[in-house]
Order: sequence, then C-alpha cells, then structure tokens
Amino acid sequence: MAEWNAYYHNEDEEEEQEEGEQSGGDYKVTGRDSLVFLVDASKEMFIKGEDGQPSNFDMTMEVVRSVYTSKIISSHRDLVALVFYGTEQSKNPRNSFKHVYVYHDLDEPGAKRVRDVDGLQGDKGAQLAADTMGSGETSLGDALWCCANLYSDIKLRLSHKRLMIFTCRDDPHGDDSTKDRQARTKASDLKETGVVIDLMHMMKPGGFDVSLFFCDIVSPPEDESELGLQLEPCDKLDDLKKRVRAKEQKKRTMSRLNLCLGKGINVAVGMYATAVMTRKPSAIRLYRETNEPVRSKTRTFHTQTGSLLLPSEIKKAQVYGKKQIVMERDEVDTIKRFDDPGLLLMGFKPMEKLKLHHHIRPAVFLYPEEDEVKGSTCLFSALLMKCREKNVFALCRCISRRNYPPRFVALVPQKEEVDHGKVQITPPGFNAIFLPYADDIRTVDAPQCPVASQMQVNKMKEIVSKLRFKYRSDAFENPVVQQHYRNLEALALDMMAPEDTEDLIMPKVEQIDQRLGPLVQEFKDLVYPNGYNPESKPAAKRKTGQSGAEKKPKMEVSEDELKAHMQNGTLGKLTVPILKEACKQFGIRTTGTKKQELLDALTQHFQFFL
Amino acid sequence: AQCQQYLTVSALVLCMDVGFSMSNSAPGEEPPFELAKKVIQKFVQRQVFAETKDELALVLFGTDSTKNPLDQDGQYQNITIHRHLMMPDFELLEEIQNQIHPESQQADWLDALVVCMDLLQRETKGKKYDRLNIVLLTDLNTGASADHLDVIIENLKKDGITLQFFLPFPVEEDEEGGGDADRRGPSHPGMGKGLSREQKNSMDMMKHIMLSLDEEDGLDQIYTFTNAIEQLCMFKRIERRPMSWPCQLTIGSSLSIRIVGYKAVTEEKLKKLWISVDAQTNKREDLKRETVYCLDDDNETEVQKDDTIQGFRYGSDIVPFSKVDQEQMKYTHDGKCFAVLGFTKQSLVHRHQFIGNQVIKIFAPKDDEEWPCRPSSGRWHELKMVAIVRYAYDRRSNPQVGAAFPCIKQDYECLLYVQLPFTEDLRQFTFPSLENNKKFTPSDTQLSAVDSLIDSMMLVEENENGEQVDMFKVHQLPNPAFQRHFQCLHHRAVSPGTPLPPMEPWLKAALERPEVISERCQAPLEEMRKTFPLTEVEKKKKVKTSAQLFGKDSEEPDAKKAKGDEEEEEYNLADIAEGSVTSQLTHRIEQLLSNKNTQYYMKSITCIQAFREQSIEVKKKKNTLTIFHLRKYIMIGLEVFWDLLVQGTISLFTWDCRISLKSFLP
Repeated sequence: MAEWNAYYHNEDEEEEQEEGEQSGGDYKVTGRDSLVFLVDASKEMFIKGEDGQPSNFDMTMEVVRSVYTSKIISSHRDLVALVFYGTEQSKNPRNSFKHVYVYHDLDEPGAKRVRDVDGLQGDKGAQLAADTMGSGETSLGDALWCCANLYSDIKLRLSHKRLMIFTCRDDPHGDDSTKDRQARTKASDLKETGVVIDLMHMMKPGGFDVSLFFCDIVSPPEDESELGLQLEPCDKLDDLKKRVRAKEQKKRTMSRLNLCLGKGINVAVGMYATAVMTRKPSAIRLYRETNEPVRSKTRTFHTQTGSLLLPSEIKKAQVYGKKQIVMERDEVDTIKRFDDPGLLLMGFKPMEKLKLHHHIRPAVFLYPEEDEVKGSTCLFSALLMKCREKNVFALCRCISRRNYPPRFVALVPQKEEVDHGKVQITPPGFNAIFLPYADDIRTVDAPQCPVASQMQVNKMKEIVSKLRFKYRSDAFENPVVQQHYRNLEALALDMMAPEDTEDLIMPKVEQIDQRLGPLVQEFKDLVYPNGYNPESKPAAKRKTGQSGAEKKPKMEVSEDELKAHMQNGTLGKLTVPILKEACKQFGIRTTGTKKQELLDALTQHFQFFL
Repeated sequence: AQCQQYLTVSALVLCMDVGFSMSNSAPGEEPPFELAKKVIQKFVQRQVFAETKDELALVLFGTDSTKNPLDQDGQYQNITIHRHLMMPDFELLEEIQNQIHPESQQADWLDALVVCMDLLQRETKGKKYDRLNIVLLTDLNTGASADHLDVIIENLKKDGITLQFFLPFPVEEDEEGGGDADRRGPSHPGMGKGLSREQKNSMDMMKHIMLSLDEEDGLDQIYTFTNAIEQLCMFKRIERRPMSWPCQLTIGSSLSIRIVGYKAVTEEKLKKLWISVDAQTNKREDLKRETVYCLDDDNETEVQKDDTIQGFRYGSDIVPFSKVDQEQMKYTHDGKCFAVLGFTKQSLVHRHQFIGNQVIKIFAPKDDEEWPCRPSSGRWHELKMVAIVRYAYDRRSNPQVGAAFPCIKQDYECLLYVQLPFTEDLRQFTFPSLENNKKFTPSDTQLSAVDSLIDSMMLVEENENGEQVDMFKVHQLPNPAFQRHFQCLHHRAVSPGTPLPPMEPWLKAALERPEVISERCQAPLEEMRKTFPLTEVEKKKKVKTSAQLFGKDSEEPDAKKAKGDEEEEEYNLADIAEGSVTSQLTHRIEQLLSNKNTQYYMKSITCIQAFREQSIEVKKKKNTLTIFHLRKYIMIGLEVFWDLLVQGTISLFTWDCRISLKSFLP
C-alpha cells in the first residue's frame, strides 16, 4: 500500500513530460530485487597477497561496500544481506545454524551498514573479524539453508533473488562427502525457489578448480553455454568489482516492442537503457514533529461548487495571444497518436551516414525476446551478423509507447566482447541511436578563420600526444551527486563533517603543466601575436577612424620579417592591421579585408620570391 | 534552458503572386497558386504557434486592385499590401484561408519586390531588427523590365535585405554546375510543359540578383513549392540564431584559447503545455488544484504544509536536510569552464554512450580579429584523438564530463562537444551470447536471405553521376509531432466545433517506407518469411480480447494513455479509501490471493463482489470500482486468477467500468 503514494504525482507538468521513457524501467509493479553476499570467513581468505596486496577478504569487503553505496544512489529499494560462513561464532535469526554469521540481514542498505563494512577492511578489519566472528568449521549447506530462511522471512514481494558466494577454497569440506551432498541439496532447493547462485571465486595458490565442487552449486548461465564456468578466478579488485557489477544489476526492459521488417515479419525485442543520467534525488516531505514522511495528494475541484471534478468534467486548452483553443482530453492524446508502438524497418544505410553530431538523447540497447516471439533470436542474430559484415545500420521508425509520436532511430550493430577473464564487457545486440529531425538542428553560422599552418599543427599534435590517456567511461564519478550523498551520510551518521570527495573531472593542472613543459610557450610563440592575451576581454569593437590612426607607426614590418614568417608558417600570427599595412607597402591589391584574404594575397605575392 | 534567449526581432515580407497564370496547371496537378498558399499558411502557422516576436507583412501582386504607397502615374499597379509589418496572429491565418483567392491580373515581380523593399524601409525605421528578409512566391510568368536591376541589387545590399524565391519548378542547374544534388526532390510538377520565354528571362534576372547577393550560395535560396511544404528549408533559414557562449578552452594552467560555443543540435520540445479548464465553461479559473499532505497512518491525518520539512533518502535512512543546509553544503565550482583533462583515442569514446540531449559546436570567436588561427580543433584530427573535457555552462549549472571531437568541414572547422556518462549513469548489463549459442545460430540460407534483404533496402545509392543519393534524410524531416499538433490547433482555432482533421497525406507518407524500397524488397521479404519461422508465444489474454470483453470499453477512445488512466484512479482511490470496510476487504483479498490456489481465488472473487457493492455505497453515484487494486495481482503472476475473474465473473465489470483495462495488462 505504501506504493500508492507513487501515484499521487505532481501533475502540473503532466502532459508533455516523457519522463518514463528514460527511466530504467518500471520498478513499481515488479517487486524488489534482493542480493545476498555469502562470504567465506576462513583463515585462507585473510592471507595477504604478495607485495602487500590486499587479502581476498579485503577485496570482498571493498566490493560489498561499493555495491552498498551504488545501491543507495541508484536503487535504494533493493534488499541486500551480508552473511559469513566458516566462522567460529554463530549469529543467525534463530541461531539454528552453527558457523554461520549473519552480519547484515536482508534489508535496504543505509549509512550504518556502509560504516560497518568499512570497519571490516584492512588490518583493523581483519582483527575485528577475528574478534567477533573468528574462523571455524565450514558447512556451506548450513550457510545456504540460513540464506534460504533470510529470503523466506521477507514479507515483501521479491522479483529477483541473487546469492553470490565469495571464496578462495574450491573444496570447502575436504573429504566430508556428507557435507558436500548436503550443500548440493540446499543449493538446488534455493535454485528451485528462483534464487540465482553465482560464484565469485578468488585466487589461491594452485588455482581454483570449479569442477571439484562448485559446478554443482552455482546456477547454469543464462544462455546454457559453458561460458560461466570457464571464468578464471579473480585476483584483481577491479576484475572482481566488474564481475559483481555485471551480475548485481538486474536487467529491466523499458519496453518490449516488435521490430517489423515487413508485413507479418515481427521480431520481438526488448529495449534497455544502458546509460541513464543520475540526478540528485528529489526531496521528500517530512512531518516536522516526527520526521516521518508525509504523502501528498492532489485533487482538482470546482472553484464555485467546491465539488471534486471527474476527468470528464475537465478539458484541455492552450492559449495563443488572446485565443484559447480547447480540446477534449482524448483529443489531446489522439493528436500524439501516429501508430501502434513498435519499430518499423525503413531500410539500411552505410555506417558513415551516421553523423557524430546527430545526437539528441542517450541511446538504448536492443536484445531479442525469445519469450514473446519464438524465432526472434535467430533472425535478430542473422540481422546483427549481416549488418556488421556489410557495415550498415538499419534505419527504423520507433514508437516506443502508446500515444508517443514517432522518432527515427539508427540500429547500430554491436559485437559481443569479453575481457581477459572471459567476462562480457559489451553485450551483443543493436544500439538504437535517436536521430534528430530538422527542428532539432539549429542554424549556426560558422565564423571564418584562417587556416593553421603545418608547423602550428605539428606543435599542437605534440601537445596532444603528451596528454594522452586511456579513457574509460566508468572513470568519472559525478561530483554533484557524490557530494550530496556524502552530506547525507554525514548527517545520517552524525559525523562532524562530510568526507571529502575528490572531484574527478577537475583537470590535473600541475601534472598537465609538468608534462607539457616548454611546449606551451613554444606553441604560444608560434601562434599568438606578441603580447596577445587570450584571457583579456576582446577589445571593444574597434571604432573606425581615430584609434587605428594612432597605432599606425607600429604597424610596419620588414620584408625579411615577412619572408621569415612565411617560411615558418607563422604569418597568421601577425595582426590584421599589420597585414594590411604590409599589403600596402608592397603594393599588393586585395579583394577583401578579412584576415584569410590578406594572408592569401601576401602568400601569393611572395611565392615567387621564396 | 541554455542558449535559448535570442537577440532581436527579424522582419519578413511574404510576397505572393496571385496573378492569373498562377492558376494554370497541368491536368491532375495542383495549381501553383494553391501550393504557394499552402507554403504561406504553413509558414504563418509555424510563426503563430512558435509565438516568435518576429514581424511579418504580406504583399500580393497580380491583384485586381492596387493598394501601395508607390502607386503613382500608373506605376506599381496591381500590387496590394495586404498586411503591414506586425506580429502574425490567428487573424492573419483566417485571412489567408478565406480572403486570398486567385485573381485575374498580372504584375511585374520586380515591381512587387520594390514595393516590399520600400515597405521594409518605411516600417522598420527607428527599430532594431536582426534580419530583413523578403520571400517571393511566383511562377515568374510576367515580363519584368530589367531597367533598374542594378539599382535594386545595390539597395538590397545596402539595406542588408536577404531574398528567398519559391517557384513551382526547380532552377536548372547545368550551367551553375553541381549544387546540392539531393537537396531538391526527384521530380517536379510543372516542369513538363517547359518554360515560357518570359519565365526564362525572369529566371535569368532572378539568378543574377541572387548571385549578386551571395556569390557562392545564392542559388541555394531558391526553392520549389513542393519541397517547401514537406521540408523545413525555408523555415530553418530565417530562424534566429542561437545565443553564443563565449569561454576559454584551457589546457593546463597557462595555455588558454578563446572559444565560442553554440548549441547546434538539441531535442526541441513544444514550448506550450496544456492547461486544464472546466468542461462546461472552458474557463481555467473555474478549476482549482490543491495539494494536501497527510501522514501515512490509517486515518490519513492531514498536516499543514508549514508543518513539513525537507528530507532525503539515504538508502534505508531518511535524513532531514533543510534547504539552507543543503545550499551551504552542496557542491560548488568556479563556474563557466571548458578545460581539457586529456586526450584519448576516438575509438575509446563510444557513440552509444553519449548522454545528455545536445551537441555544442565550438568555434573561434567571430569578432576577434586578432585571433591567430582556427582554434586548436583541426590541429589534431589526423591523430584520431578526441579531447576529454570538463564543461560547465555557468556557476549555477552542474559540471559535466564530455568529449570534444575535431570536425573539419570544407568551409569551417570546429569542435563538437557531447556529454559523456558518469560512473553512476552506467548500467552494465550482460546478455547471453548470441554467437556461442547453437540453438539460435542462423543457417547459411537464412543468412543469405538477410543479405539480399539488406541489399534490396539500401536507402543510399549512387546515381548515374556516381554521386551518393540518400532517399531518406531524417534530419530534413520536420518533427511530425509538431506538424500534427499545429495542424490540429490551427484547425480548431479556425473552425471550432468540427472534429479534428485527418493527418496530412504527405506527412503520413513521409513516415512510411519510400515506395521504391517497398517495391524492391517484396521478393526478399517473401524469402525471409519462408526461411525464418516466427511464432508468437501464446500469452495471457491480449489487449484486444480484454477490451472486447469489457462491453462498455469500446466507447473508450483507443488513444487513452496510461497516465490519464492513472489520474482517474486517484479520484476513485481517494473515494474508496473513505470506507474502512473497503480497506478491510482489500486486505482480505490480498491475504487470500497470496495463497495462489484456485480455491482461494474463488473466495477472493466473492470478496471483490462485496468490494464492488461497497464502492457503490460509498460513492452513491456511478460505480467507480477500479481495477487498480487488481493490477498488482496480474503482475505477481496470478494469471489463473485473472482469467477466472475476467471470464467467469465478467458481470462484475460489464457496467460502466470507467477504467480501460487494457493499460493494466502487462
């Protein structure tokens, strides 16, 4: 019932907003996602790597922390639990399982939990873990059973249930086949109730052999390939993070549509938002006395009679000048209706016809929905292969929802890519790029500028190559959002001050200066006229007449100087008045007064002499 | 709302030939007069709805009467100033619709041009205009005297007046060589019968004028009627320019380059929103909207807005955080900025990861004559590198990370800035592999079917001259939503009380596959149909069937959208919530359903029956039982229950059930 308030949305901007389109899918109706971290707490997990590398346990806690914080920001309704197995102490709801320690029950992550996990990191963390939990016997069966209880104790409806086992022991029970069997039974019980079990196995001396035991525990991969089990164990934090990230986010379609190739040839596809702008969340209202959230209800009533109005008693209008144009509510919708939702194939174009600057909103990802139309995957796959082979994209008309006006999209084929650890980094499918209409393209007058000389270009190239780095799309955190959450964290935990956030999109000026060294000055010498200061305001538009006359004496430049400039390709450094003066000096007739025209005239004139 | 303010107003004279030759047309073709009228209508319509401050005058020539200030000594005859320079409005639209008819005289189009120039000069005096423009719509069928041609050109130049011509036929391009081949459409009516001597003569004069005004692109400003109706070229050209954004591109602490940015591509939205009015009186003031706050308790105790404070969610915690504190603690920065973080290979910046909804073009500033050479843009494009930059529009807006791509065009160079995602924005989904899965691997026959389908549906082809012709350019298509919106508003404003018109045929056609393609792909499609078996998986009742089941539902206009439906629920919900009995019932139904067993389903249905009766009692009006509550059960996978409900006990819902069920079905 708590979800009802979601429907009392503010309607002031109701009609024109297409907000649903870019959201990550419909969360309201499908229930909560849940994720249990089941972490091995045996002694092996605490062994530090070579050269002070963090222990497997440390890495795991780091990952758990990052999942907690990212859930808080992007999907705070998800439930997360942290359970240790192979502990000496036990702590679980009815304390019916030995050597299982439920550190965090299945619940929404909050500030305190993040702190808790922080506390388990590093040497101090290892000490804390040893003091509170210790390392003891292992029974994965009991641990899985305990987790099963966590799920069943939840009163909320769960849509997606996932359990991740973090361990570096491929044979946790040694020779105890009873325990092995028990664990297998419990694992299959869990899987039957819809829990997906993943293994996040980590490096240990001698390698991790999944086939010894864990192959029977984990869920088979989605595509029934053997990809999942071929995964190498993780030995790097980044790899582990990536692997967890990839599993932890539940895919949700924004919509399921038919891609129509021609009459009767419909391929079912799902649309996924893979990049959604995260904004600062909107505030919620709290009751001053108790700090409990309040709900808002918006009603429309008649000013005179005071009675609530039914939708049929309301019409819609727009006013232009003094003219009010009135329409029925359903007429307003009809205007927006062009066709049923779906993608209609218009044809194909070579890839180079897709212009870089034709960008109006984030792309969406398309993947076939075999559950809707059988045979979709095969056709989709064939289309994908052929589009890639022929280097073309498919142009489609896209109506993404009922009563949404059409947009055109370019379906760009994307090949599957996996990293060295066989983890998928780019999924196979089409990226749908939204194309602009004529209305979306503005007329911009390009100012005329002189062309840079080869020497200037080369100098810039040097600068560029000095400042090369490898761009990764996940390298930059949003400082605004991060600061907001740090503030909230500080308030929630009664900290003295929020933790410092590093603004990752700030240029590292010192490093850049250091790397460039003398290049900057060399470039300036080549390009800027003496004494030019780009940071000063551009001089107020020169008044014709007096001011020019005053400056005149300085304007002269000798023939040798000119030739030198020409040879070095630095003629463009000279200012327009100097160039004009030079033209006069050498009796060169020019057609125009634009800089480029002057430069051209001079160059032509001196070509014979050089 | 960046770059959205514009500078000043522009003035424009529409000058239309209504003389008798404009009504001539080949059988089956629309006369040039009608086409020209449509162009004008479309244009004015657009101006009115855009609520621009631009001013517009309308001059007609070839009219039976004469009405212009130059009318003297039998000169400048049959030219009428229909409307002086002012903002366009609905009145003008109505006039164009009802008062402009083909007339029986002919007038010299150069004379008409002079009248327009005179009008601009008189009526723009003392005011500052961004741009002066004259649009001539004519078939050039009058013998114009070339006597003062040079004087006219001189004056046009002096006053900075730009010209556009709209003709029933395209100008032949052979002599001029090249031009933009695919700018003009493939075939034009009116071309068939060939041009008269007068037309050829006039055409030469027109070209002379246009080339004198703009040596290079002058002829680009000559359009045909049909193209103007379907494309935006005319409207785009006279739009006011976007605001400039001057800034410094910085690399490290000591290298800065002066730049200016313009928003070049952005998703335009309709500027105006719908307001709610009372259905009876059509008055906005008769409606009042009120938002109340209440506690989440059984009584829904109302609290005053003043008794509420602001808070935020931090995961499971709710943190009170006043506006003042928030303002003080929030992230701040130094404002306007375009700073290079570094350079990276272009291949590492993926097209599908572009975020935001705009592209900014960065140039060297125009007024800076001292500017030494083009901004650093072109300088590194050969390296296939892009700059990763920090961009902030101003102090109030949030900084972004983005990529600046060098863009080298024939006549200009610039940087294209696009926003890139932050870590928080990315959803790294994994999907099952398609290639490694034998179940779905297409056979060779299937692949070759796709192959020939693609070949038959290529939208870009080479013509006989070896030039590439793109037959479907999305970026030249006007946004169909705007076109339809304006068409309907225009219709309702000019002819109130009549149903909305159907979509214009050209618009409908523009959204379909080009005819050539549909014909060409027939055979390959047939092959696809044979080689790829596609079967729709049987799902629970589909949208249509449930719509049929709910008798009354058919009255519901099909175009109801989900949001509107939800709005209705709100009322009903609020009403139902008044009865505590109902809420108990709801609870009971939920309990019963959670057992997922047919036996319990039957009990639930009994409850729903009671529920319905209760709702009637509460409402004492029309029944308003909503299916809202039931929606969630459909979602949880209680299809069986749903089927029972829909089939077995349909009588429950047949009466005026106000909610369209369709939208609730997954």
